[in-house]
Amino acid sequence: MIMRKGFLKYGYGLAACLAFVMGALAFVSRPGPTPYPLSYPGYFGNRINIPADNPTTMEGVALGRRLFYEKRLSANNTVSCGTCHLQRLAFTDGRRFSIGFDGTPTKRNAMSLANSLWVRNFFWDGRASGLEAQAVTPLTDPHEMGQSLDSSVVKLRAAGSYAGAFYAAFGAAVITPERIVRAIAQFERTLISADAPYDRFLRGEYHFTPLEQEGYELFFGGGPVRSVGCSNCHGGPRTLTETYHNNGLDSVFADPGRAGVTGMAYDRGRFRVVTLRNIALTAPYMHDGRFASLSQVLDHYSDHLAGGPTLSPTLRDTAGRPEPLHLTAGEKKALLAFLNALTDSTFITDPRFSDPKIN
Amino acid sequence: MRMLVFAVALMLTTFAEAQTVKVTGEVTKPLTLSAADLAAMPRTTTVAKDKGGVEHSFSGVALRDIFKDAGVTTGRQLRGENLAKYVLVTCADNYQVVFSLAELDSSFTDRVVILADQMEGKPLPAGVGPFRIIVPGEKKPARNCFQVTGIAVKFAKD
Repeated sequence: MIMRKGFLKYGYGLAACLAFVMGALAFVSRPGPTPYPLSYPGYFGNRINIPADNPTTMEGVALGRRLFYEKRLSANNTVSCGTCHLQRLAFTDGRRFSIGFDGTPTKRNAMSLANSLWVRNFFWDGRASGLEAQAVTPLTDPHEMGQSLDSSVVKLRAAGSYAGAFYAAFGAAVITPERIVRAIAQFERTLISADAPYDRFLRGEYHFTPLEQEGYELFFGGGPVRSVGCSNCHGGPRTLTETYHNNGLDSVFADPGRAGVTGMAYDRGRFRVVTLRNIALTAPYMHDGRFASLSQVLDHYSDHLAGGPTLSPTLRDTAGRPEPLHLTAGEKKALLAFLNALTDSTFITDPRFSDPKIN
Repeated sequence: MRMLVFAVALMLTTFAEAQTVKVTGEVTKPLTLSAADLAAMPRTTTVAKDKGGVEHSFSGVALRDIFKDAGVTTGRQLRGENLAKYVLVTCADNYQVVFSLAELDSSFTDRVVILADQMEGKPLPAGVGPFRIIVPGEKKPARNCFQVTGIAVKFAKD
């Protein structure tokens, strides 16, 4: 009896000690989220954008991927981010305007998410600085996904399966609006497209066909054929410089474009220059999806530039008049061949980017 | 009708007033320069070629004179760590170009880079003006950037 009492006494003490030590150990060595190795070619440059308060982690990306494809984030559980950003179409949806949860079309064409890591200002008018700020708009727009982030929190909590993933990603099982958008942004930063034939050409692993080579030289200049100036705006291996241009679609703009953000007259009809990576997959084209095919886009730059006070100086002659490129049929064919060499089949089939419920 | 005219006039003034160049960063006195401010400053004229290779005369204000007003480390102060300063020019279309502070300074070079507001004595054309950087003698005109909205003096910190 005495023995037993002693054992109990020491037993409790021992258990308490053990619990304390284990707790301390857990506190010290509890593995935080593991950094996600963002790998990309050196020729993309390092002007990447990751906010200090939202580092990209394996756990955050895994959670973000689930959330990207989570239809509970829409008001009637029918739409996820992935509904309008389909991997097989380089994260666009093939429509002129996307259809929200209530059937209402959006005002502008869905943009590709490829290589967003290098983009500083999102949307066609650049109004969101950073992916975190961008994600809030489609999630909460009354016609896109139509649900407040607070409601999304309630629905994810009720789903019951997310606490562990939030804990792993953020060190706390509490689901918050901020953590939802942070996780989605982390996943989007990993959507890097860098394995098109053009990349293999840049790495010295692929020889362009003669037609692709001619298109490449027309596009970037520096070859025996003329430069038509595409790279003035779509420059560098990422095929974009993050600028805003009026590319001569109209003389009078129904959509004010960048001016809607800045209020400046000179920004009327200016829209963000997009990457041409995977461009053959992302039809229809322009902010309003007016061109169904790349041939129509080339015809536009070749023959149909509309004048106007804000037309990009890169599309004007020295007297200020619109200066269409006057492409020959052969030049158009060559440019199309090069544009098709920007299609990255590895990117659109990469299992890391697909819906985790399906793959 | 009167209301419409008033509204249009108001819009035009708003836009006209809004087109300025902000001088920020490592300055003792940040500036917001309007067309009228530039007209009242010491004027410099220089020559540069357009993309067709034709020479034009551009006039405006030397960046070094703008820096004098803004309190940037120039001349005798441009030594030591101040040589790690650079100038980031931002344009309305989000285009950006960089100069080192030393390559704009009269104690280092005779080349005078200006913030131009006139070409051949007339305001700069639409899409180019109201303010444009002109770097005389540059082989490529890529730093003669259009519609300048900001000039920021910064420290290289790496």
